Amino acid sequence: MVPLVFLLPLAAAALLPALFGARPRLAWYAALAVALATTVAAAVVAGALPAAGELRYAVGGWAAPLGIELRFDRIAAVTVAFGAVTALAITFSRTLTDSVPRPVLFYTLVLVNLGGLNGFALAADLFNLFVFMELLSVSAYALVAATRQPGAALAAIKYLLPGAVSSLLVLFAIGVLFALTGSLNMADVGARLAGVEAPAAVALALGALTVGFLVKAALFPLHFWLPDAHSAAPGPVSALLSALVVKVGVLGLLRTFELFGAAAGPGLLRLETLLTVLGAVAVVAGAVAAVVQHELKRMLAYSTVSNIGYIVLGLGLATTASVAGSIAHVFYHGLTKAGLFLAAAALVDRTGLHDIDDLRGLGHRMPWSATALSAGMIAVAGVPPTAGFVGKWQIALGALEGGRPLPVTVLLVTVVLGGALLALAYGIRVINALFFRAPTHHRVVAAREAPLSMLVPLVVLIGLALSAGLSGAAVIEFVRPVAEAFVGR
Amino acid sequence: MGAELFDLRPALAPLVSAICAGLVMLVGYRPGWRAGLALAAPVLKFGVVWSMLPGALAGTTYRISFGEVLPGLAFAFRVDALGLFFALVSSTLWIAATVYALAYMRGRPGQQRFFGFFALCVSTTVGIAFAENLMTLFVFYELLTVCTYPLLMHDGGLRVRRAGRRYLVYTLSGGALILAGMLLVWHLAGTLSLAGNGILSGVDSRPALLAVFVMLTAGFGVKAAIMPLHAWLPSAMVAPVPVSALLHAVAVVKAGAFGLLRVIYNVFGVDLMRELGYAQVLGAVAGATIILASIVALRQQRLKPLLAWSTISQLSYIVLAASLLTPAAAVAAIIHLANQAFAKITLFFAVGAIERGTGKTRIDELDGIGYRMPLVMGAFTVASLSFIGVPLLAGFITKWYLSLGALEAGAGGYVALLAVSALLNAMYWLPILYRAFFRRPESPAPVRPVSLMMRLPTLVCAIYVVILGIGAEAPAMPFVLAESAVRFAFGMHGVAP
Amino acid sequence: MSIGQWVPLAAILAPLIGAAWIRVAGPGRCAGAAVAIGAVVVAFAGCTLLAFIAGRGASPALALIALVPPIHLTLRVDALGALFGLTVAALYVPATFHAVSWLRDDAYWRLYHTVALACLALMLLVAFAGNLVTLLVGYELFSLVSFLLIVHRRTPDAFRAGIKYLAYVIPGAALTLIGTVIVFFAAGSVGFAPGGLDVPAGSAGMLTVAWVCLVFGFGVKAALFPLHGWIPDAHPAAPAPFSGILSGVMVATGAFAIVRVAYEIFGPVRLEALGVMPWLAIPAALGVVVAGVLAVGEDHLKRRLAWSTISQMGYATLAASLLEPRALAGALVHLANHAFIKGGLFFAVGAVAAVAGIHRVSELPGLSRRMPVTAVVITVLAAALVGLPPLAGFIGKWWLVTGAAEAGAWPVLTVLLLGSVLAALYLWPVVFAAWSAPPELRSGSPVRRDEPWNGMLAAALVTAVLAVVFGVAAAATGYPLGLAVRAAAALAGGS
Repeated sequence: MVPLVFLLPLAAAALLPALFGARPRLAWYAALAVALATTVAAAVVAGALPAAGELRYAVGGWAAPLGIELRFDRIAAVTVAFGAVTALAITFSRTLTDSVPRPVLFYTLVLVNLGGLNGFALAADLFNLFVFMELLSVSAYALVAATRQPGAALAAIKYLLPGAVSSLLVLFAIGVLFALTGSLNMADVGARLAGVEAPAAVALALGALTVGFLVKAALFPLHFWLPDAHSAAPGPVSALLSALVVKVGVLGLLRTFELFGAAAGPGLLRLETLLTVLGAVAVVAGAVAAVVQHELKRMLAYSTVSNIGYIVLGLGLATTASVAGSIAHVFYHGLTKAGLFLAAAALVDRTGLHDIDDLRGLGHRMPWSATALSAGMIAVAGVPPTAGFVGKWQIALGALEGGRPLPVTVLLVTVVLGGALLALAYGIRVINALFFRAPTHHRVVAAREAPLSMLVPLVVLIGLALSAGLSGAAVIEFVRPVAEAFVGR
Repeated sequence: MGAELFDLRPALAPLVSAICAGLVMLVGYRPGWRAGLALAAPVLKFGVVWSMLPGALAGTTYRISFGEVLPGLAFAFRVDALGLFFALVSSTLWIAATVYALAYMRGRPGQQRFFGFFALCVSTTVGIAFAENLMTLFVFYELLTVCTYPLLMHDGGLRVRRAGRRYLVYTLSGGALILAGMLLVWHLAGTLSLAGNGILSGVDSRPALLAVFVMLTAGFGVKAAIMPLHAWLPSAMVAPVPVSALLHAVAVVKAGAFGLLRVIYNVFGVDLMRELGYAQVLGAVAGATIILASIVALRQQRLKPLLAWSTISQLSYIVLAASLLTPAAAVAAIIHLANQAFAKITLFFAVGAIERGTGKTRIDELDGIGYRMPLVMGAFTVASLSFIGVPLLAGFITKWYLSLGALEAGAGGYVALLAVSALLNAMYWLPILYRAFFRRPESPAPVRPVSLMMRLPTLVCAIYVVILGIGAEAPAMPFVLAESAVRFAFGMHGVAP
Repeated sequence: MSIGQWVPLAAILAPLIGAAWIRVAGPGRCAGAAVAIGAVVVAFAGCTLLAFIAGRGASPALALIALVPPIHLTLRVDALGALFGLTVAALYVPATFHAVSWLRDDAYWRLYHTVALACLALMLLVAFAGNLVTLLVGYELFSLVSFLLIVHRRTPDAFRAGIKYLAYVIPGAALTLIGTVIVFFAAGSVGFAPGGLDVPAGSAGMLTVAWVCLVFGFGVKAALFPLHGWIPDAHPAAPAPFSGILSGVMVATGAFAIVRVAYEIFGPVRLEALGVMPWLAIPAALGVVVAGVLAVGEDHLKRRLAWSTISQMGYATLAASLLEPRALAGALVHLANHAFIKGGLFFAVGAVAAVAGIHRVSELPGLSRRMPVTAVVITVLAAALVGLPPLAGFIGKWWLVTGAAEAGAWPVLTVLLLGSVLAALYLWPVVFAAWSAPPELRSGSPVRRDEPWNGMLAAALVTAVLAVVFGVAAAATGYPLGLAVRAAAALAGGS
């Protein structure tokens, strides 16, 4: 079952152009089916986790450390969300066949992306980690350019360059690690690193990996590429990018800490402080930037920057509560942001208007999408019991628990809550424009509600975003072992 | 203490009106459906809430829990005496408010949205009342902000938008403070449950307790409009009259006051509050608010701002009563939730009816209105006399217990303060009555007929003000509930306060 | 459950029902007058019955609705309550007849009857109150309601007087509430009990505050000296029949309440211990003298009578402050007799004003020609008020003076006598003017008699007759003196 989680989408991606090259509608069905099947597979495996502890699978029967090994641990359970969000994004892009020149290629790329994401989450050795990362990155670059609209190619290039640099950094680090330990299997590397007597080299590898993944995660100030890429991409693609792809950086970071856990204790401590500072700065900077944006999708993109800040802050605080909160937030923010971007895509694509001020009054023309967007805005701000609440609460709790000096604690809690308040502020800007202002643009007056294929996924996602917080305790309990391992290195 | 039962009704109460609200949004473009559903929401909820009264009087608490949002922190409802009291008040008033709003809003645009959110507000208010823990309370508290916002913004325009923005800035900042306080409570006590009387009693870190107290009281104090956190309330008067009634009497400000009661009685607990002594500061602030707001009210030229300032003054009665930490004062705090609500909503209804009937909004235009709209001004008279504290009306009961509570607390100065407040109240209500009944209008403008659906709720609420004043011990009246809530908060068993 | 428990309720409800009838059913003038008179007569009959019941001892309390749990609206009749209730109801009978005539051309006659009947009910509630909160309820409500009667004429003067009245009464009500709350807090009860309530030792300071609050609060109504400012304005402004009620019983309500509070809440013993009584006696004495002097200099008839009321109320309060049974009985009987005498004077003066348009003493000459019966009535009542034996005023003063003498309170005695002298000084000019020759006669034009036989005259006549009867046959059963003596004995004996 475990390999299905990434093999299924990749195999389907290979077959899709061949089988349905000329029949986009069929390709859509097929892609949707595959994404759903992947989700189911991931869910089945994840369901077995609490009983089995950790599932390891040696591909082709070659045992680790030599063979390729897959590992489905509690972090990898996030593949369920990957699959589900992708499936909903595919559903949403049913009508995209009109605007995308080669729809089948588009669906193929989405599936490749899913395969890459899942593979990344499952990879137990560094090489595969890198391969899957490249797979999902390249597919993501292509997806950004998929509409072939004027700005898209430029945005894709902007996205590609930092992405390539980060990939290089990660590759370089992997090379260093291989040179130091002679192994690529992560558990193996981790074990051997403890015996390595080359602190500079270890630190170099650690630094390169961290920076590489932080670029992927778009942590402020390494976020510069994200707003362009996410706002230029077609609607469902921005959802995938913002909800899932940036999370790869976070997963990578988690894996990095796991890898170096035994080796670089003091270095990691300093790194944690750095992450705390950077995360806190990102929370505020992202939120402030979001408040002043004019374009809806850029605002959402900056909101992602802020939320990545939360996740990194939670990791940096390094208490069980905050790390569990961070991991939960990876999942919850994925749901919420995907829903938000889909809703924004529905509004933007139906009208062709990007500016929030142009969208005034659209709430009365497209009530479902606009309501979903508004509700999502509230969820992303972290009003309890929505999805955004659990992670932020746990992270704030972590800030209280750390035993830091009082001013620092107060500052951190203020940052966490202030970020949420700013999130409400930009959310309210959108809500005000959509519902409480008179239309200023003629296209708004002519706009009509999105088709069902768009509404269903976004309503489902926003519904989840609003209610998923109710399952918060279960998720926190689920990831607690990971968090404990993270903290207890 | 009676049994604690699992029961669907605590969840059903907010749910039925939420469903009705959803249906209004869906099929509300038809006036008939809209009116029916908008009415069904409070009526059904009223039924559900009242059905729990016998059990609650017998000492039963009902509870129901949904998913755990955080380990040990469920999204849960629990019906205790205090919560049920608040829910009863709001659900009773909501019916009147809806009937009134149906008539008041007739012919205005955007009714579907209006009644949808109107029904949703009732849902969230009951959610606040029945919240088992601080987080659930906070959820509905914030939801209430969100739901009232579209109502507040209903008329559109620059002034309205500005008022709306101010409302949000105040309430959301308050919300953030509550969240911070909640976080600290969780950190200190490991629970947010409101089922006990003092979850912080085991904590001995003074700075942390002070921080919690400041954050929670300031947070809830925003909606309770304690000075200097009150500025949103007078500017929110731009909303349509039923919304003002909602803000002032039924939901928003009451939610703030109720939150404060929860903080004092359930989060800190009376014993801890006495030990800490922070309540004295809160009481002083509330006392100052009572007087200052009344003085500002004296200078108002228009009816609605006058009502707003009076609300600010009256709400601080509740805060003052709660901060005195004696049983009699607690009774005053709880029953004033109802007393202020019924009297204030009557005033708002009357003002709305006057506005509809004559288009007058200024006090100096009211000459002789008492003869042209006798029913409405009669109700107005009863309600305003209740605020002055005339015996046999609801306000007298509050004044009595509050004074008694102040004496119990050894704070006799507040008794004098209440007397001064009563005088100030007389100074701004009686001139209105004088104009209405004893002055001849210079040019009697014709009075448009005001719908019975507006006059009837006005009258009913005024009658209720009298019932609350003379029927305080009638078996179905919530006074008994207030007593049992007080007994619980003060750890007394079977002793009348 | 004795029948006596329900009679006070019936006596209170009868005027209320009448008031509601007149307001809601909107009967015509004749029917409305009949309803008002009927309601008053029923209340009077009830009070008469109660006076006999109370003669056999206090009736058990009847607890009605809960006002502020655990305190109920409680009705109880004792000798003091019966005396006051009977006085009120009895004065209302002529007052209502007077009002029917006086209001013949008045547009607001329904409002007058409604409010007047409501006031009657509330005053009876005060009389029959079983505890301090019930008394407070009745007291505050009728204070507010009577505003409507003071401003009945709707002239700017009337409104000015009304607003002045409210400016006195509302703070007074606030003070009474404070006092009541303190009493409840200190004693845990507010029920009236002869000898006062049990109060834990060591709360003297608080009790003093409560006493001051209550005395000042009720003193506003009782025209206690520095709190009397509204009275000279309110009386001329109010309709004549209501002026009679105002001066006769409404002001007495304040004195009645002070007596209740002094004897049945605090108790003579505790008051003596607190040492507050001299502080009541001094303003009362000042009131007797100052108001008397001011009355002498006042030309406006009704104002002169109003000052006289302030002076006479000072008598009662002064006597009550002696804490001596005989003086107390004198105070009570004086309250009752003064009600009829002063009520009758206002009725007569009201008739004079309504018929002859005379408002001032200086306009009175010739009255005996135009309105001879009224002139006789005024003369009799003035004599009674001065205290000429054997008229009613003498009885009260006699008991007062002898009581003060027994107590050895010579300053009080001096003040009382001085008050009587002043009364003679300010009433003699009235009588003299009424009987002196009219200016028209001197100028030669004839003066015709134009005294109509109507309710106004009848009311004045009835009270004059009562003033004589209560004086001549003071000792008869059911008359004020008997009840007052019994009440004083009960109040003082319980200590």
